[in-house]
Amino acid sequence: MNDKISWLSVRSLLRLEMRARFGSKVEVPVGKRVVKGLGIVFSLVIYALLVTGIYFLAALFIERSDMPFEFLVLAMTFVIVLTTLVAIGNVVKNLYMSGDNELLLRFPVSGKEILISKSIYCFIHNVVINLLLFVPVCVIYGVVTSAPVGYYFVAIAVILLAIPLPYAIANLLAIPVMMVMNLVKNQFLLVLIFLIAAICGVFILYMTALGGVLDYMRDESAGMFSESVMEMYRNITGAAYPFRWYALLLGGWFVGHSALEAGLSFLFIFLITAALGVGAYFVTTRTYYKIILTGIETEKASFKKNIPNITRSVFGTLLHREFFLILRSFNYSFQYLAMAFAAPVMVYYCNDLAATMGRNTLGAAIVPGLTLMVIVIFSSIIVSFAATSISREDNAFYHTKIIPVSYTTQVLAKLLLYGAVGTASVVLSTVVVAAAFSSGDGLEMLNSLDIGCIFIISEMLTLALTCLAIAADVKSPTFNVSGDGEMVSANKNMVLALVVGMAIAALFGVFTMVFSFLPLTIGDATIIPIGERNNIYAILGVLSALILAGSVAALFVGLEKRYQRIAP
Amino acid sequence: MLKVTDLKKVYPKSDRVAVDGISFELRPGEIFGFLGQNGAGKSTTIKCLTGILPFDGGSIEVCGYDIQRDPIKAKMNMGYVPDNHSVYEKLTGREYVNYIADIYRVSKADRDARLDKYVELFKLGFAIDKQIKSYSHGMKQKICIIAALIHEPKLWVLDEPMMGLDPQSTAEIIAYMREHCAKGNTVFFSSHNLDLVKRLCHRVAIVNEGHLIDCFDLVGNEENKANLEERFFKITGTYEKRLFEDYVAQEQAEMRPDLPVDDGANGAEGGEI
Repeated sequence: MNDKISWLSVRSLLRLEMRARFGSKVEVPVGKRVVKGLGIVFSLVIYALLVTGIYFLAALFIERSDMPFEFLVLAMTFVIVLTTLVAIGNVVKNLYMSGDNELLLRFPVSGKEILISKSIYCFIHNVVINLLLFVPVCVIYGVVTSAPVGYYFVAIAVILLAIPLPYAIANLLAIPVMMVMNLVKNQFLLVLIFLIAAICGVFILYMTALGGVLDYMRDESAGMFSESVMEMYRNITGAAYPFRWYALLLGGWFVGHSALEAGLSFLFIFLITAALGVGAYFVTTRTYYKIILTGIETEKASFKKNIPNITRSVFGTLLHREFFLILRSFNYSFQYLAMAFAAPVMVYYCNDLAATMGRNTLGAAIVPGLTLMVIVIFSSIIVSFAATSISREDNAFYHTKIIPVSYTTQVLAKLLLYGAVGTASVVLSTVVVAAAFSSGDGLEMLNSLDIGCIFIISEMLTLALTCLAIAADVKSPTFNVSGDGEMVSANKNMVLALVVGMAIAALFGVFTMVFSFLPLTIGDATIIPIGERNNIYAILGVLSALILAGSVAALFVGLEKRYQRIAP
Repeated sequence: MLKVTDLKKVYPKSDRVAVDGISFELRPGEIFGFLGQNGAGKSTTIKCLTGILPFDGGSIEVCGYDIQRDPIKAKMNMGYVPDNHSVYEKLTGREYVNYIADIYRVSKADRDARLDKYVELFKLGFAIDKQIKSYSHGMKQKICIIAALIHEPKLWVLDEPMMGLDPQSTAEIIAYMREHCAKGNTVFFSSHNLDLVKRLCHRVAIVNEGHLIDCFDLVGNEENKANLEERFFKITGTYEKRLFEDYVAQEQAEMRPDLPVDDGANGAEGGEI
């Protein structure tokens, strides 16, 4: 690798990166500008809501607990962990998996120049994320605690000091991540099993910890701000290094901590950041070029599978092809199969926690509605993948047009596969929930009628959402794959399918929960008497059937003509 | 075998008519060359007749079946090799060919025999059980050709088929095109290689700016054969005497070293058009 660095090349590469991401100066049609503008407004609204939430949480916690410093430690922990996770994803995606490394290496630029230009982009991204998270947290803390003006100047210094840490950690962790990824290429089933185990493991860990905290609070019958819970906060924040050092430096000095503690905190932070930064620099500059070359060299690494010629039916071969194209892709396996098979575990833990909390506050009658909502939410996440079923064909889309098989049959094969995976997930979720909540241990919160109706309604909604997701992709597919011929980012149809699914889940779940406590009357007629869940299920069953019928019609009526109009 | 009548295609959100009133008919047992500059409408015509693109006017019949009214039967009689040879790269070569064979309902005995024959013909035995993503450009082209032929189509459509192929494979494909036609089937292919077209095709059509300008026999008509380049350059508006003379001289020197270079360039008439 050439040691001389041309900063002109670095600047050109960086400009190329920025233009590729944020668009060139080519005039964008009004429609696209409006959509982009709405997207920005939506993001700002979500951000404003989050900031408002943090403000109220901070005000509540600090006012009720009178432990401002402990709150600051928890806030620093949250912000630094989150920025580090975002930075790892950013570095892995942009430095190693962006798919343009081979293209860039054809230009008269060195690996070091590519690394510097991409690192500058990643660092800018890291700075923006850090500012978006640190600034509101620091300002809110200052406002809530009526901090002196000096606090805000210290906050600026602490934010600047904190920015390099997540980036350095991300650079160090990205390398083993990439080495492992290069190592397990083509081990599809192994990766799928590992992904399912990892998703379940992390989720179980998280929910167990959350459940433990809630149990503790309930057992102490003390709520969030009892003396024993306060003691727990003190113990946790007292040992939360290195996050405690950031809090000591930022706000320790005006809540009674000594200047020596602040000075030592600065020293420790500086030493850790410097050590990790220097380590990341040496490790990255020495391994980056090798890793991307390995990535390029092994990109075409493939497996050999000696099989005889096998004859299948037309429908069978369509299903077989669709399934193996998903299984043999890390992205798709993770987005779809791993999520589908991990869903029952997630459903169980979410439902367990929500039911425990709901039962304690509102009563056991809330459990069937909650169960229905949780199952449909996870089904929505799984079936939203079907919204890329046409887009994923990309360059090979012409196949679907030239083969002597009707478009209806081809779409039916996709629907059957996605429907089958969705159904398997719903069946497993229902079985798990039934086993947990209809037994004596589960205090019989669900009877057989509840379980049967929840399954039927969830299944109809899952199939309906699958139909709608595929219909959305038939209407406007996005043929835009990258790297290994895969769609890495979600397309607009996927987001749409997810939003519709979540909305339906919320409506059905809330409807069931509310009318388990209240009667539904129209005029003099009582449609749902109190406690009559049969009527609720009958109404939701009919609604689900109507939605399913509408979705099937939306997908299949005029499908041949709509599909023929798709031009790759 | 293939009948295109008054074909018209306008791309959505475009004012330009990509294909305007093109008509031609292919006979059984002939190799038909489809010529034109880049953007002349060749690929659009091919995409319409294979069913990839909808069209705005006219009709296309494959073996008597209308591609719009009876698409399944029409497609059943056709094999298509695209110019970008995109395939399902996560499948192995054998899985891909089996998938296509299943789609065209090819029996196990037939696919075994044909796959063995084509793998041997195109020297792909070492890679047929590997994932297609590991294939080179030429190997992908070969697997596309094998997949297009696995059901022995009556009409074999190829879009720029020789691009990226090694000389051995090019020679094998040419030989196979002739063999395919000898069985009474038809080959329709687009190309920029005028010499190949001249040596291989029974008839050619030249399109320019979406219009079919000329369609003539090559077999049995030595004058048409000799004048193919000149007619092509004049029709496509790229005729320039000096350039044309250079082209013919180069072709004679490189492709026909046995013939003396003709300074008259087959009687090419001067002047730019």
